[in-house]
Amino acid sequence: MFDLKKYRKKSPWILHYNAGSCNGCDIEILAALSPKYDLERFGVINTGNPKQSDIFLVTGPVTYRTRERLVELYTQMPEPKVVIAVGSCACTGCVFRDMYNVEVGIDRYIPVDVYVPGCASSPELIIDGVVKGLEILEHKSKEMEKPFKLFKAATIDDGIVNRRHSALKVGEDDAKD
Amino acid sequence: MKKTINIPLGSQHISLLEPVRFKFECENEKIIGVDSDVGFVHRGVEKACTTSFKFDSIGYVVARVCGLCAITHSLTYTAAIEKLLGAEITSKAKYLRILLLELDRIHSHMLCLAHTCENAGFEAMFMRIMGDRELIMEIQELITGNRIQFDYINIGGVNRDLDVNSVQKVKENLYEVKQKVQGYMDEFTNNWSLSLKFKGIGALSLDEAYMYNAIGPLARASGLRIDVRNEIDYLPYNEVGYKMQTHTDGDINARNIVRLNEIVNSIEMCENILNGVPEGEIVTKVKGKPEGETVVRFEAPRGELMYYVKANGTAMLERVRIKTPTFSCIPAFSHIFLGEEYADAPAVLASFDPCMSCTAK
Ligand code: SF4
Repeated sequence: MFDLKKYRKKSPWILHYNAGSCNGCDIEILAALSPKYDLERFGVINTGNPKQSDIFLVTGPVTYRTRERLVELYTQMPEPKVVIAVGSCACTGCVFRDMYNVEVGIDRYIPVDVYVPGCASSPELIIDGVVKGLEILEHKSKEMEKPFKLFKAATIDDGIVNRRHSALKVGEDDAKD
Repeated sequence: MKKTINIPLGSQHISLLEPVRFKFECENEKIIGVDSDVGFVHRGVEKACTTSFKFDSIGYVVARVCGLCAITHSLTYTAAIEKLLGAEITSKAKYLRILLLELDRIHSHMLCLAHTCENAGFEAMFMRIMGDRELIMEIQELITGNRIQFDYINIGGVNRDLDVNSVQKVKENLYEVKQKVQGYMDEFTNNWSLSLKFKGIGALSLDEAYMYNAIGPLARASGLRIDVRNEIDYLPYNEVGYKMQTHTDGDINARNIVRLNEIVNSIEMCENILNGVPEGEIVTKVKGKPEGETVVRFEAPRGELMYYVKANGTAMLERVRIKTPTFSCIPAFSHIFLGEEYADAPAVLASFDPCMSCTAK
């Protein structure tokens, strides 16, 4: 049978968005896809379509005008998805920290799974980041398979059960409770 | 009924690195109106230069305006400050600065050529050029310690000396790139299917280039002989064998050929420099605080880059104004699109080599 999960792990597709970077990190992503480093031989393809992508590579601190698109692209990607922040800018803001039009890194707006440091972060680091992202992707898709319990057993002694607390979150281990 | 359709391109697009949005007004495949929006990556660098950084660290901040011509940005700023301080730098530092400037130009032009091919649908050529570009990145890493965003230039000279052992490797790689560029030259002039995509498309005549104030390779491909390297005497460009490259057609093919010729010329200049680097110190001590105002121009890979710096004798500057090459070319860009097929738009756009990071700052 056609098993989507198996192939997703073997050939993840990436979506790349420049949220106000200096182009340094974007070129390094291109270089990672080009013959010397050749991410494409592992099936990693740069797509332009958020609806086909599994891994979201973001560069640059979020500027005032790119944040809308950033969140929009993130929400358009199907689950499971992994967000990788490439470069010091996307992690913490780099030299652009505290300038009037930028935020300090992208994790204010979307959840980040892997941080890749460096200004500019080198292709080797980006490849490491993508490989790390694949592990997380696998973990996430396993979690999605589990039957989703809406409520845990009430464990709080005083009898007050908060729905927010007892809801099972994706990624949380079942064995823990 | 309305006869035209509006087609947007960007801000997120697979073949454009830059977040830029174009709105093409099309009538039966022909573009009859263009609207562009470049402000997506505005970060406020100019303001930050006068409020939160001291003058001796701004060189590293303005380098982050653009990843491709970072070295030109930091050099132009540093030259402005050196002018204000009245500092004299050694001739060895000058030669090393030209070396890195030209290496930067080579890899930037190669990226542009690769992109133009990819957007015209020639994926294999894209991979080929990108693969050969790594040779340049390698030697940049060897000389400066980083592939992109090497903070090589500081006030008074450069940060790292040229390693005697690595010079040999640099020469070998440059020689190899030179061979490859001859191969591209053949491909770009003789490949029939590329010529369908490139010849006669997106033409800018000499008069139009003059009128719309085009600069850089865009103007030189139309036959306008402007190049800042020819006009300044701050760096010894004439000594290292600089030759201006022009073409007369003004179409995408002409721009590619100009870029290829410039790569060859840059390689020659680098070889000349490596053969005759003068002895001496790489840094001279510079004291004092800048005072007064000045304008400094340099030739970035895409054209003339201009910095205006105003200082008042304290560590904080009063004003830093950056005029970037792409900004001056926007009128010419918008004009070229008119009357072209929509299908050619990505290739035309890539052949300008626009840099939105610079433009929006
Ligand atoms: S981390 Fe450095 S190289 Fe990367 S986008 Fe930011 S400033 Fe540019």
